[in-house]
Amino acid sequence: MPSGGSLTQDPCMNIRSHIRQETVVLLLAVAIFIASSIFLNGFIEASNIVTLVRGVALLGILAIGMGIVVIGRGIDLSVVSILAISVACMLQLLNMSYSLPSALAITLAGVIVMGGINGFLVAYAEVPAIFATLASGTFVYGIGRSQWLSGDVVYMPDNQTGFMAMGELKFLGIPAEIYFFLGIAFLAFLALRFTRPGRFIYFMGDNFAAARNMGIPVRPVIVLQYIVSALIAFVAGVIMAASLHSMNTRIVNSTLLYDIILVVVIGGIGLSGGKGGIRNVIVGTLLIGILLNAMTILDIPDLYQKLIKASFLLVALIADGFINPRDEQTDQAGDI
Amino acid sequence: MTTLLSMRKITKSYRGAPALKDVDFDLRKGEVHALLGENGAGKSTLTKIMAGVVPPSAGDMFYEGTQVRFTNPSEALKLGIAMVFQETNLVPSMTVAQNLYLGDENFFNRLRGIYIAAQQLLQSLNFPVDPTATIATLGAAKRQMVEIARAVRLNARIIIFDEPTATLTPEEKRHFYALVRRLKENGVSVVFITHAVEEALMLSDRITILRDGEHVVTNDAANLDRDSIIHAMVGRTLSGELYRHRDAIDRVRPPKAKVLSVQDISMGNVVRNNSFSVYAGQVTGIFGLIGSGRTETAKIIAGIYKRDFTRGGEIELEGNPVRYAVPRPAVKDGIVYVTEDRKTEGFFETMSIAENLYSGLLTTGRQKLPIVSIREMRALAQEWSSALNIRAINSNARVIELSGGNQQKVVIGKSLIEKPRLIIFDEPTRGVDVGAIAEIHQLINRLADDGLGVVVISSYLPEIMNLSDRILVSRQGRIVEEFSPAEATEEKIMYAAVH
Repeated sequence: MPSGGSLTQDPCMNIRSHIRQETVVLLLAVAIFIASSIFLNGFIEASNIVTLVRGVALLGILAIGMGIVVIGRGIDLSVVSILAISVACMLQLLNMSYSLPSALAITLAGVIVMGGINGFLVAYAEVPAIFATLASGTFVYGIGRSQWLSGDVVYMPDNQTGFMAMGELKFLGIPAEIYFFLGIAFLAFLALRFTRPGRFIYFMGDNFAAARNMGIPVRPVIVLQYIVSALIAFVAGVIMAASLHSMNTRIVNSTLLYDIILVVVIGGIGLSGGKGGIRNVIVGTLLIGILLNAMTILDIPDLYQKLIKASFLLVALIADGFINPRDEQTDQAGDI
Repeated sequence: MTTLLSMRKITKSYRGAPALKDVDFDLRKGEVHALLGENGAGKSTLTKIMAGVVPPSAGDMFYEGTQVRFTNPSEALKLGIAMVFQETNLVPSMTVAQNLYLGDENFFNRLRGIYIAAQQLLQSLNFPVDPTATIATLGAAKRQMVEIARAVRLNARIIIFDEPTATLTPEEKRHFYALVRRLKENGVSVVFITHAVEEALMLSDRITILRDGEHVVTNDAANLDRDSIIHAMVGRTLSGELYRHRDAIDRVRPPKAKVLSVQDISMGNVVRNNSFSVYAGQVTGIFGLIGSGRTETAKIIAGIYKRDFTRGGEIELEGNPVRYAVPRPAVKDGIVYVTEDRKTEGFFETMSIAENLYSGLLTTGRQKLPIVSIREMRALAQEWSSALNIRAINSNARVIELSGGNQQKVVIGKSLIEKPRLIIFDEPTRGVDVGAIAEIHQLINRLADDGLGVVVISSYLPEIMNLSDRILVSRQGRIVEEFSPAEATEEKIMYAAVH
C-alpha cells in the first residue's frame, strides 16, 4: 500500500497496545494477588476471599453498565445515586408493607424512567453526557433523600426472609454475587456482540457522524444505553441490599463512582468510544477489586486510599489519552 | 512602483503531495493583487506562506529586498503582513473594541479607554460598527470590518484576504470594494483570493492565476479579460485518457421518472431558494466551487441538516413531500448520501471492512437472522469486496489501513447495501488514486444504468463533464444554470460557477 504508508502506523500500534493493556492489567492483577497472599496476613483466608469476591462482583456489575455507556462515547455519573435511591425506596415500600412484586415493579418503573431521562437529556436535548448525568444523579439523590426517605439508612423488614436468604446464597462454596456478575457479564457480552443495538453502540462510539448519517437510530440507542445502565445499577443495588440487609444512601458520597470509572478506564475501554468490551471490564475489575481489598487489609487509612485511587485514575486517564488519541475532529468541548 | 514582497520558487508539499510547485510571486507597494484559480490550485497555501501561517518546504521570500523566513504568523505581523481569514478569527463573546485590542491590553485594562480608541479607529476607516457591540451579534460583513480594522491598527502594510466576498451580500460587497480602494490610497498592498472573475477585473491592478499548484500567469488586469482568465484557470495538462470528454453524446441516458424535486429550499444564508430536480436512470452532475452550498443542499436532502423551518421550501421524493429531522427516515425512504469527508463521517475506522459493510445491512434491518451472524457478515464482505474490487491484505484489515480508493469503495459499498433509490455522491474521487477513480466512475455509470437516481457533486470539471447526463451549476447557495453534455464546455461551466 504505497499511499497508506503513514496511516498504517498508528492503528496497528493502537491495536497492539490494546492487547498489551489488557494483558498487562491481567498480569498485574495476578501479581498483586500472589504478592498479597504471600505478604499479607489473612488475605488468602476463606472469609477474606468471600469479602473480596463480593466486592469485586459488585464493582464489576456496575462497571459493565458504565462500560456499555462509555463504548457508545457517553458516560453515566448517576449510577451510584440511582443504585442507592432506587433500592432504598424499594426497601421503604417493603417497610410500608407493600408486597415484594409490587415494590419491585414500582421501583423498576422509576429506574427505567430515570435512565430514560438521562438518555433524553443526552440524545434529544444534546446536553453533554457528563453534565447531564452529574445533574440528574444529584437530583435523584436530593429528591429521594428529601421527599421519599426518612433517614440515611433504610433497613430490610424482617419478614423478607427470601430476600435476605439471597444474600447468603452460595453455590459450590462461592457467594451468589459472583454468579450474578458472570451472568450479567455474559448477557452484556452477547448483547454487545450479537444484537443490532449492541453493534450500533460500537458504530456510534467509533464515528458518531458516520453512524448518524447512514441512518442508524442514534437517539433511541443512546436512550437505551442509559436505561440499561440504570437497570444494571438497580440490580447491583438489590444484590448489595440482599447481603447487607439494608441500604445506606451515604454510599453516594463514597468513592464508588470513581472506582467504577477507574475499572472501565484501566481495563482498556477508551473514553473516546468504540473500543474494548466486556473482557476489558473483567480484567479491570479483577485488578481494582484485589487492589482495594489489599489496601483494606494493609489498613491503609481511608484518606490515603483515596489518594492512591485518585493517582491510579489520573495515570490511567493520561495513558488512555496517549493510547486512544482524539483528533481535533472527534474532539468536542464538554464531552468526555 | 517598488516591489514590497517577492517570493521565489516557493514549493510546499503536504505529506509528499505537492500543493505548490516553484511559484514566483511579487507584490508591489500600494497595489491590489488578485489570486485566481480552481479549488486546490494552491491559492490559500500561497497566502498562508506569505502570512507565516505555514512555512514553505522550499523557496525564498524577500521583504523590501531582505530575505525573511517566518515561523509563525506573529513574525509576519511584526513586519506588517496581516491575513484576514475566511472564517474570521474573532472571539464571539467579546465586544468589537476588546477584539481590536486583543492581546494588547494593559495589565489594568479599562474598557472605557479602548472603547474610545476603537471608536476613533473605526471612524477613521469610516466603518459603521459600534465598538461596544459583541461580535456574536454582528453579521459577516461587519465582522470582516473588525478584522480589517485590527489589521489597520497593527499598521499592516500588506493585508491578505481569503475569499473576502464569498459570504457578503451585494450591498456589503460594495462597501468592501470601497474599503479596498481606500486602503490602496493609504499605500497598503492588498492580496485577495476570489472566485469572482468580474470582481478581480474590476478591483485589482494585477492578477495572478494558479493551476494545480503551478503559476500560470501574472499580468495587469487591464491586459486580461474574462475569457482569457477562465481559459488560464481550466486549461488542463494532465487530464489524460481518464477524462477524455465523452464523444458519444448519444450515450446520454434519457430521464426516467422524477425521483426528487427540490423547490426553493433555504438554510440560513448558505442555501438560498435552491430548486432543481433529479431523474431516475441518469447521472445529475452538480458543479460548484467550495462555499456554493452544494454539500449543504445534499445534506438537507439526506436529512443530515434541517432546512429553515419557515420558508424553508419543499422537497418531494417521488411526488410525496418530505421533511426529515434526522437521516434515518431519509435512509429508510431510500436516500443515501456518500460523504466528501470519509474519515470524519464516512467509515468506522477501528473496524474491519466486513464490519463496515455489515453496518449497512444492520441499519436497514434486512439481515436474515434477528441477531448478528458472523457467517452472514463474511459472506456479505466477500460479495461486495469482489463486486467493488476492494483490495486489502486480508479481510480483517481495518479500514483506516486501506488506501484512499479502497476506503472510498468501502463507504460506497456500505451505502449501496442500504439499497437506495437516490444516491448522492459528494466529491466521490477526492483523495482517491487514479486506478480507483476509473472504477468508481464505472460504478456510478452502472448505478444510473440500473435505474437509480444518481447525483454527483464535484468541483473537478473533467469529472462532471465525464459522468453527467445533465450538468447543474451551483453558485451562492442555488443552482444557477443547467447544461446538457452536448452544449457544455469547461469554459461555459466555469463561467456560470464564478460570478
